[in-house]
Amino acid sequence: MARSLTLVGALGYRNLRDHSVAFEVLERLSKADLGPDVVLEDVSYNPIAVVQWLQAQPPDQQFQRVIVVSSIERAGRAPGAVSTYEWDRVVPSDALVQQAVTEAVTGIISLDNTLVIAGYFGVLPASVTIVEIEPLEHEFGDQLSAEVARAMASVVTLVRDMVHERSLGA
Amino acid sequence: MCFKNLPVEFDERGQPFLRGGIPDPYTASTAPANVPLQLSHEQVEELVRRNGHVKSVDFDPVTRVAGALAFHAVADLKEGRVLEARSVATLFRGYEVIMVGRDPRDAIFITSRACGVCGGVHSTCSALAIEMAIDCVPPPLGILIRNLALSLEFLYDHPLHLHLLAGPDYSAAIVEPTNPALFARAKKTEAPHAEVHGYRTIAALMEDLNPLSGKLYVEALHMTRLAREAYVLICGKYPHPQTIVPGGMSSTITLTVMNEMFVRLSQFFDYSKKIASIWDDLTEFFYEANPRYKDVGRRRANMIDTGIFDHPDAYDASYKNADAWGNRRWATPGAIVDGELRTTDLHTINMGLEEFVEHSYYDEWTGEGQRQRFPTDPAGKPLSPYHPWNKITKPRPEGQNWKEKYTWDTAPRWDRLGMEAGCYSRLWSTAVAQKLPKNPFIEATGHSLKVRVPKGALPEMDLEWHVPTVWNAFERNRARAHCVAFTSMVAMNNWMAAMDRLKNGDTRTSVPYEIPKTGERLGVGFWGAGRGYLTHHLVLDRGAVSNYQIVTPSTWNASPTDRWGQPGPYEEAVMNTPLLEETLGTEEFRGIDVLRAIRSFDPCMPCTTHIHSDAGVITREVNTCACGVDG
Repeated sequence: MARSLTLVGALGYRNLRDHSVAFEVLERLSKADLGPDVVLEDVSYNPIAVVQWLQAQPPDQQFQRVIVVSSIERAGRAPGAVSTYEWDRVVPSDALVQQAVTEAVTGIISLDNTLVIAGYFGVLPASVTIVEIEPLEHEFGDQLSAEVARAMASVVTLVRDMVHERSLGA
Repeated sequence: MCFKNLPVEFDERGQPFLRGGIPDPYTASTAPANVPLQLSHEQVEELVRRNGHVKSVDFDPVTRVAGALAFHAVADLKEGRVLEARSVATLFRGYEVIMVGRDPRDAIFITSRACGVCGGVHSTCSALAIEMAIDCVPPPLGILIRNLALSLEFLYDHPLHLHLLAGPDYSAAIVEPTNPALFARAKKTEAPHAEVHGYRTIAALMEDLNPLSGKLYVEALHMTRLAREAYVLICGKYPHPQTIVPGGMSSTITLTVMNEMFVRLSQFFDYSKKIASIWDDLTEFFYEANPRYKDVGRRRANMIDTGIFDHPDAYDASYKNADAWGNRRWATPGAIVDGELRTTDLHTINMGLEEFVEHSYYDEWTGEGQRQRFPTDPAGKPLSPYHPWNKITKPRPEGQNWKEKYTWDTAPRWDRLGMEAGCYSRLWSTAVAQKLPKNPFIEATGHSLKVRVPKGALPEMDLEWHVPTVWNAFERNRARAHCVAFTSMVAMNNWMAAMDRLKNGDTRTSVPYEIPKTGERLGVGFWGAGRGYLTHHLVLDRGAVSNYQIVTPSTWNASPTDRWGQPGPYEEAVMNTPLLEETLGTEEFRGIDVLRAIRSFDPCMPCTTHIHSDAGVITREVNTCACGVDG
């Protein structure tokens, strides 16, 4: 029977307070028994390289589902707020994709850029779930704010449940 | 005489000394002679007021460059010429401030973050500065692997710039709407090097330069992957390696690693033949179609480069012997003024360096009551109070207007001249100086650089880059394309030398070291980025950093007008650029000639300026030029 692989990717910035929360989530998930069909990966690098990594997966190791955990500022959310949604697969105009590629190859790492570029190059599976955490602290350092630290446990549970649901349904 | 503007002369033994009888020898009144000047802002305002066809043309942000750059120009749209040009770095780079008080080893990892493309060049430059300050010499294999790593970083950078950032300016998607007659001509023009790159006409070539869909664009993305993979094999990760240390490299290098790396490197052999022939054909096509394209991005051939890729038999990390080891590098250091190579000595290049802040968001650090910390370098040669070892970074973002301050970049000058940096400066000084180590692949003729590229799917080929007679946007891109071949063969030479060492059982890539906790020590990393010149000047005080100053290629290129009215290189290049776009005066006008001029420098603003505000670290920025609020 073909495997149904799930990628849980962490996207953020190391040692940048709340922007590092995705790595903490990944660390905790690595200690949970998620089974052999779940791959935990830091995807916080050049989105073009992320695309090339996904393209390089052998046919029997392609991901059927991707879950991306990231802290990102969105208007109107309280610090520590958690939002989950299915990515709408909308790719912007060619001019904006081109700008996204420029930013990607010159060092900008961001959730939106990664989704736009991976979407444009068609390397994402049908199911892409985003888990966002609203950050409060943006300074250098390894301490999460109290708000984001409090949210982390629920994010870990949320992602574990998502993965579990998937494996039950598969 | 090496210096024409600085008060430094040389005795009969070649030793420099300060010209006598001048009470304040580096005074601001010593203006450079015979340099272009900006119009005063009052003159420009008057022209705008009197002439309806003289208008502001602003690019904010300049897209398809690394980081945050804005550009303000005032153009005569009737005459098709630029009257005023101002380059604006819109973000602050705080590394000089961040580094003070830290352990110098932190600099290797912190300053790497100056760039998301070429972090390793900063790590290495930092390691070199530390090695000089603490007297630490890497073993030969460590030096060779370092050279390989940096070659690979450039093989990431050059295709990226040529076909992802600058290339679209010459694509069908841009040329057809901006210059339809030119594109019609391209359809009928056969490409001279069709047998190498595979495009029968220039228009076909332009079609594949189209962003996203063009084969050359997509191929460049693939080449960046090869370079990155090869780099990661020896450096562990990209773009911020953890394996570069004072005294060499901390990675373990084996024959297997070397062979895996070679598989990737060898794929640049054919690519370098192709990319050089593409840019040769494009350049000649534009020149033949309209010789005025030779004026796009034109400026004096004033260039500076500190050289790169050390010879393991020569490099001893000392300042004292920097002239000797610098002159044995695979890329020769050089200061070139009006096309003439003035010096290849690192001491002289260092002595001529000054940084000014009249139009930058910083306070002066010289002046009454200020003691010049280092009147001379460690070899006893005179230094300006404006030299980086004497500089203090004092940010002050006030007086934001074109008359006063308009950028976070400073104005570095050499012999008080606006110099530009690029991988082409590296080619130029190496070609003219003829100091290359003997090798089977690269020959400097005094007027050109011949590169013999081995057989791949294409046959072995001799490429030749000629020192150009005119210096402009097209020649920058052409030289950058030839730099792919040059860099590949520098890598080949170092790969072969490293293999010889490994086969003989010499596997040592680093030496132990300690950071002395006493005394004051100076170091400087003379190195290069993909875009050319790079220096990190370091002062250690009892083992901690008391001053750290970075000058990058884009610090030079994006620099503002200086205290004497001399424009920075982007500014000068844009001021000389004719507006040849056929849509001039219509709503479709894009300013493509100005953009070609700016992008030909391969701007890298993250290296120039950075990223901290009171609200925290800026991870992503939509920029707006503060100079819109003119005073």
